[in-house]
Amino acid sequence: MANVFSGMGQRLRQAPRWTFSLAALVLAITFPLLEQAGLMDTLWLRLGTRTLVYVLLALGLNLVLGETGLLHLGYVAFFAVGAYTTAILSSPRLGYHWNFWAIMGLAIAVSSLFGFVVGFPTLRLRGDYLAIVTLAFGEITRITFNNWESVTNGPGGIPGIYPPVIFGWLVDKPIEFYYLLLIAVVLVVIVLTNIKNSRIGRAWNALREDEIAANHAGVRSMGMKMLAVVISSGIAGLAGAIFAYYQQFINPTYFIFMQSVIVVCMVVLGGMGSIPGAIAGAVVLDMTPEVIRQVFTNWLPSALGPDFLPQVQTAMQTDFDRYRMLLFGIIIVLMVIFRPEGLLPNALWRREVHEEDPREAEHTRQRLFDFEEGHKDLEV
Amino acid sequence: MSDVVLDFRSATKSFGGLKAVDGLSFQVYQGEILSLIGPNGSGKTTTFNLITGLYEPDSGDILLKGESIAGLRPDQIHRKGISRTFQLLRLFSNMTVLENVMVGTHSHTSAGIFSSALRLPKMRREEVRATAKAKEILDMFPGRFSGGRQSQPAYSLSYANRRRLEIARALASDPSLLLLDEPVAGMNPAETREVMEQIKDLRDRGYTILMIEHDMNVIMGASDRVIAMDHGVKIAEGDPTTVANDPAVVEAYLGRRGADAAS
Repeated sequence: MANVFSGMGQRLRQAPRWTFSLAALVLAITFPLLEQAGLMDTLWLRLGTRTLVYVLLALGLNLVLGETGLLHLGYVAFFAVGAYTTAILSSPRLGYHWNFWAIMGLAIAVSSLFGFVVGFPTLRLRGDYLAIVTLAFGEITRITFNNWESVTNGPGGIPGIYPPVIFGWLVDKPIEFYYLLLIAVVLVVIVLTNIKNSRIGRAWNALREDEIAANHAGVRSMGMKMLAVVISSGIAGLAGAIFAYYQQFINPTYFIFMQSVIVVCMVVLGGMGSIPGAIAGAVVLDMTPEVIRQVFTNWLPSALGPDFLPQVQTAMQTDFDRYRMLLFGIIIVLMVIFRPEGLLPNALWRREVHEEDPREAEHTRQRLFDFEEGHKDLEV
Repeated sequence: MSDVVLDFRSATKSFGGLKAVDGLSFQVYQGEILSLIGPNGSGKTTTFNLITGLYEPDSGDILLKGESIAGLRPDQIHRKGISRTFQLLRLFSNMTVLENVMVGTHSHTSAGIFSSALRLPKMRREEVRATAKAKEILDMFPGRFSGGRQSQPAYSLSYANRRRLEIARALASDPSLLLLDEPVAGMNPAETREVMEQIKDLRDRGYTILMIEHDMNVIMGASDRVIAMDHGVKIAEGDPTTVANDPAVVEAYLGRRGADAAS
């Protein structure tokens, strides 16, 4: 029996990578059909739609955090810029009702430009300093939207965002947004995969691995980092625009710092620098808490009778958001202990973390030595 | 002698009160191996860092083929034709062997973000050329990076192969000047001999090499000329035997009493 299973694992590992992508795509396409067939509550479809927004964000942040190695903690700001661009130009708030394509283009352009403006002073910083400054920029953005009452209506937010019309099709049902987001995800994955396997992707990775060596191999830090930040900001803007259309209402509380942290967690959980990892991280982190909530409030009580742990049921129903963060913490801690390289890591990283053979252990030792030696070779 | 590739003109670099490189001048000629020697702290690595743009000279000038490169960024200097290796390895550990070398072709490729994102034919042709170039460079190290090893991560290589890979990465841009910072550091005698032959072979292929080295066998066996430094200034220059026997050089390494005893 064990042989059968290990044989299956072997065969799964040998299957070409595109089979997994295809399987994931088929799964994603059929998911809403379960709801249409009445096999699944609409709640799950709404959750799936929200998850796809997070998938876009995780893919975008992975570019900066995973591929280029920049710890960016204000990523939600670009998401907010995209969402507000849409809300302002397609709602009764200021009386605009722009075309869907124009708004998409503008949301991506404005958030990319905002990425450029933020990146210009901050990308000279490294490591922790960059993290702190981007965090501050994220908060500044949210507070600006909170206080710019004449345009954004402050904390009251912008209600009544008009649903988009795409090629004459009015998109206003969850399933339609689900497929719209799925198309966006597929396009973004194709583009990111192509860039990853180009001289630009290699330059990003080189900067992540060793910035000084990358510079001396002809990679310009500022230009290449800026490119990563601008593209990832554009992806966040795209996600924000669709999100605003889908929610039909946005206010600054959607764009709190915690959202940036959640997306960072998704990238780390999935495996930094891995596109399938970013997707898996977003799906797992966004869906698990909801699954657990359903287990405690619906499935277990209906299986074991309504008397099952009534306090837990009430807690899960009333202040689930608090427990959501607790669950996040537990998931991350378990990951760090049992699978530090992430769910679907970049193939090269997996081996480093697990030190399968002594030569790699030797390498880690050497790296530690190099680390302690620090920048000795830069000194006199 | 033949053409001057690098002209280092009385450049000075101070760190606080310490003059790490103090009005140093020298030339590197086309197709030679020039070794830079000197005790620890004599300014050899600072000289390298000045040439590659990590530091900007406080005064003086550095010319590559008659064109000033002082004050340019490292990536600009790399584009102009100078590449280097590091004393302590600086590989892209989590990238494959082939990718490491391909990063070295960055300056010579030009695909922008749109042609990369859409994999336009121009970008694909360039990618094929860059891959072929990287493989050609790796083939210059026979048996070291053959077949499957090229798709392994750089960290899985042995120490000596990692040093070779760094040289390969530096060669990928067809540099007009190659700087090697202690290429045989930490190698056993057999590996040292092999790398020395490799360096001579590179010269015979037309590369111009400036290297920092401590291993006397390599200095004597490979270099065409040697420059000895101490406290940021040049104390001797010439063919390896002359420099090794120069009283000032012996004194710099062994102190005055040592020099007296040696003479």
